[in-house]
Amino acid sequence: MADTGWPGCSKSLKGVILDMCGVLYESGEGDGVAIPGSVEAVKKLKASDLQLRFCTNETQATREKFVAKLQRLGFDISVSEVFSPAPAAVAVLKERALRPHLLVYDGLLPEFDSVDKTNPNCVVIGDAAEQFSYQNLNKAFSVLIGLDNPMLFSLGQGRYYKETDGLKLDVGVYMKALEYACDLKAEVVGKPSPTFFQSVLNDMGLQPHEALMIGDDLVNDVGGAQHCGMKGVQVRTGKYRPTDERHSTVMADGTVDNLAQAVDMILNQRH
Amino acid sequence: MAGRRTLKAVLIDLSGTLHIEDTAVPGVQDALNRLRQASVAVKFVTNTTKESKRSLLERLQRLNFDVQEKEIFTSLSAARSLLEQKQHRPLLLVEDSALEDFTGIDTSEPNAVVIGLAPNHFNYQTLNKAFRMILDGAPLIAIHKARYYKRKDGLALGPGPFVTGLEYATDCKATVVGKPEQTFFTQALSDLGCSPNEAVMIGDDARDDVGGAQNAGMMGILVRTGKYREGDENKINPPPHLTCESFPEAVEHILKNLL
Repeated sequence: MADTGWPGCSKSLKGVILDMCGVLYESGEGDGVAIPGSVEAVKKLKASDLQLRFCTNETQATREKFVAKLQRLGFDISVSEVFSPAPAAVAVLKERALRPHLLVYDGLLPEFDSVDKTNPNCVVIGDAAEQFSYQNLNKAFSVLIGLDNPMLFSLGQGRYYKETDGLKLDVGVYMKALEYACDLKAEVVGKPSPTFFQSVLNDMGLQPHEALMIGDDLVNDVGGAQHCGMKGVQVRTGKYRPTDERHSTVMADGTVDNLAQAVDMILNQRH
Repeated sequence: MAGRRTLKAVLIDLSGTLHIEDTAVPGVQDALNRLRQASVAVKFVTNTTKESKRSLLERLQRLNFDVQEKEIFTSLSAARSLLEQKQHRPLLLVEDSALEDFTGIDTSEPNAVVIGLAPNHFNYQTLNKAFRMILDGAPLIAIHKARYYKRKDGLALGPGPFVTGLEYATDCKATVVGKPEQTFFTQALSDLGCSPNEAVMIGDDARDDVGGAQNAGMMGILVRTGKYREGDENKINPPPHLTCESFPEAVEHILKNLL
């Protein structure tokens, strides 16, 4: 009988999807810091026969800048392996002929260069951090409240993330704020949207049960992946909190100390 | 329909109903005087959190309204009594002008977060500070959860969206002390010696003024001034007892039909 629980399920895995912030590194001053053991862990995965992709809700920088930062931290990673919400959002906007008012971090704006932003008929919010000023939020609010058919796209729905100097509010908080103000529901682009996970699986050419997601966000990484039929493992780095192990709705397939431990456990099953 | 007892009190919203910023809604001073000549108690109830009772009073007097300080009941008053009751030391995210209503409350080493309408405090840094306190166990008290309010330049975000955001971030529920909470209305009526079904509320916010009052057992009259938008009367169940143009028409209705 096939061992379908963690870590036994690793025997039949064909691909691994890694969250980035909180798994590979922790953000903070400058480039942030690599989490001990993670650089080595990624190398080991790449040397194995498993397919590897990176899936992030990072929206403070373009993929190019973001990947360059990770390379500076020592990671072997390229843009084509990284899936982030902004390009996915651009595709959705173009598909539906939408013109966005953007409330995003300055560093993300280049991702939207090819999008018509005149006369906006929707709002896109990302992790704008200190640019989530009352004034900027009010501007986004007035665009929405003035539309007959207001649409709000949120790049992720995270509640908070960890930086080196503590926990900080994430885009989901401001998504909820605008939802409440305008009495509407936002469309989430990025984790945990099933469309987003599916696009990664499609790129890998894999079925959900052949892939495993490793992340620090129980609901958006692990829960989101499980919802699509993948296995999900939580690391105790990044935004992890002990109460996550007693969550009312999401139960990770496994909980490990960090990425290094997860990768060792996976590879041990495959000898 | 069961007979209503005679009307004994009228609760009147301020911002958007009697005035919009520094301009009185046309005809309200006269209407207010006529209401006072009838034998009903009048109270001015407001979720406005930017102003202390004293500055509210000054503004109303500048607009030639005949009002006394003891007739004003604000959600700040409601918040203060909750803090005193529970002996919390608050981080007060309220406008400077409203701090006066919290004089005497110890704010050192805060162990509670109080949020009012405070655009100056709704920046990323301050909200992060509040977030971390709540995550550590500090209760979140919302003076009210208005979605938006009317400024001269259009609609602007109220505290509600930020309270909702913090609730989501921390997985905690705020204690709301302002409209449309039932206790706000019953507290406002408590020293008038009448029960909710002997009172009527007049306001421009369908959910917070009229809906809240009707849930507390009062009658509600919705006026089409201030933040009112077409169709608001259809957003509450049961619908308003009456929807009319503005405060003077509401008073006419009361004088003709409810006394």
